[in-house]
Amino acid sequence: MGSPPRTAIPAPPRGFRDILPTEARELRAIERALSDSFTAYGYVPLEPPMVERADSESVLAGDRLMRFLDRDGDLVVLRPDITTAVARLVAQRYHDATGALRLAYFAPVFREQPAMLGAEREYDQAGVELVGPSGPLADAEVLALLAESLSRCGLRGTSIEVGHVGVVRRLFDDLTVDAREVVFADLRRGDRVGAFTHARGAGMGDAAIERARAVLAARGRDIESVDVEGVTELREVIHLARELHQGEPLWGVPNLSLMPELPYYTGVVFEALHPESGFPIATGGRYDLLLGAFGAPRPATGFAINVPRLHLALFASGWRPSRERTLVSLIPGRDPREAARLAARLRSKGVAVAIGAVAEPAGVTVVSGEAIDGERLRLQGGRVVACDDLARELA
Amino acid sequence: MRPLRFALAQGVLLNDALAALRAIGLDVSRVDGGRQLVVRSGDVEYLLARPSDTATYVERGAADLGIVGKDVLMESGARLLELVDLRFGACRFVVAAPKDALERSLDEYRHLGSLEVATKYPRVAEEHFRHRGIAVEIVKVAGSAEVAPQVGLADWIVDLVATGATLAANGLAVVEEIAASTARLVVNPSAYHLRRQEIAPLVERLAKWAECR
Repeated sequence: MGSPPRTAIPAPPRGFRDILPTEARELRAIERALSDSFTAYGYVPLEPPMVERADSESVLAGDRLMRFLDRDGDLVVLRPDITTAVARLVAQRYHDATGALRLAYFAPVFREQPAMLGAEREYDQAGVELVGPSGPLADAEVLALLAESLSRCGLRGTSIEVGHVGVVRRLFDDLTVDAREVVFADLRRGDRVGAFTHARGAGMGDAAIERARAVLAARGRDIESVDVEGVTELREVIHLARELHQGEPLWGVPNLSLMPELPYYTGVVFEALHPESGFPIATGGRYDLLLGAFGAPRPATGFAINVPRLHLALFASGWRPSRERTLVSLIPGRDPREAARLAARLRSKGVAVAIGAVAEPAGVTVVSGEAIDGERLRLQGGRVVACDDLARELA
Repeated sequence: MRPLRFALAQGVLLNDALAALRAIGLDVSRVDGGRQLVVRSGDVEYLLARPSDTATYVERGAADLGIVGKDVLMESGARLLELVDLRFGACRFVVAAPKDALERSLDEYRHLGSLEVATKYPRVAEEHFRHRGIAVEIVKVAGSAEVAPQVGLADWIVDLVATGATLAANGLAVVEEIAASTARLVVNPSAYHLRRQEIAPLVERLAKWAECR
């Protein structure tokens, strides 16, 4: 660390940060791998605006949104996710479309966070939405695409856990609608103690509670003994997904403990977990209710990858982006025109050239040399090399 | 992979928590609440932390499991899996007011439209009064909220009580109960999924132990 600047320059606001070139280069490598995967499954890119109207449907409570008044006096919100924007956009622009819409994105989202938690208020999300088709093959497609995207980025040791909100819902079928909503709100918060206390209070019997408790703990082989409608569908989705993406053997773990925080999920849901991350790297699933909130009900499923978490997990497991071509730092000699000509010539041969010293190589190998004339340069160490020979050596 | 990490809240819950863990067959003999805060014993690493930090450790996955009071979970808002009610460490969040001045403060509320409430638990207090539709000013204190009404810092308090003796000693009476609290077994959701084989037996044994109490 060097000496601090003489006058203090304020850092960016809490929860926002500069992404410096080395990291930015890594993120671009991740973005390329993800978008290649999305393209291979027929997904096309989409870019909704950064700002939405605050009275629009939202997945998060008001205090998790970054809202402000614009000059027209309208309350607007920095988008907290992309899925909601896609739902709005599909309802507006594609309400007559009958086929399958396959949409992909890689974009920053904004969420208000309490102070002192070290939490980011802006981060990149990458994901896809499949609008239109329902049924196991559609669920399997999105699940397989998540597995494939992560593995194409180079992430190993991911566990993809697959659950089913419909199965969990059926466990509480005997409760009244109101009681069931209370129990579900508890479950979404992770409060199993509260959920079962409320269920018992609403008249659920001991046997039914014991059964629900067992189902909510079922993972892997355990689910074979679970006899609730929807379990067969869950297993079929996983089997189809394994056909679509040949990952590690038996990837995709059935897990009925999965209960996403957001209320709009209706069917198969999933999370990508990694031992290096205390939080899921990606979450997704079927959300048939969200488009209905915009007045155009249609089945939909998708996932969102939390890019910083993916990056951290990759980094912690030793991943580095593939090497970029070497950069030549060309120090001009006495005649700047000769140096300019030499740079142009090197670049025409496919060599990256920066004129002068390089302060931030961002992890790229730098070869430094001084221009002798329009043809030759003297590398550090004294070796004189012709332009064409250097291009060949670096190719 | 690192050993399973179990965070335990220091303070009033610790002895009961250790007794529970002993009862289900874990060796906690070297966890004594002394200076050593991270203790490895067999396949489990124990981490002693302040109660509110316990929730933070588990939420962020720095610890896989924890034993912590529901009161702490309510105030922290941490997102984690609450799996077992361990039934010890019972206490209640209550709203309390000076015994002789309840009518007067209600009158004042009708008159001025707002009450001042001193508390160590601003999140719980704020949510409770928002839910009840009562306008209050929360005054956050770091300790001993029960003296606030006596010295004119606030009209009412929101505090955690076990027996109510402290309230009575300070001339306060319970206006209403907000929520009951006991110790909970909490688990980081990702760890619960990824390390189910190690965690599930502990959950089961602790649930059985709690039920038999």
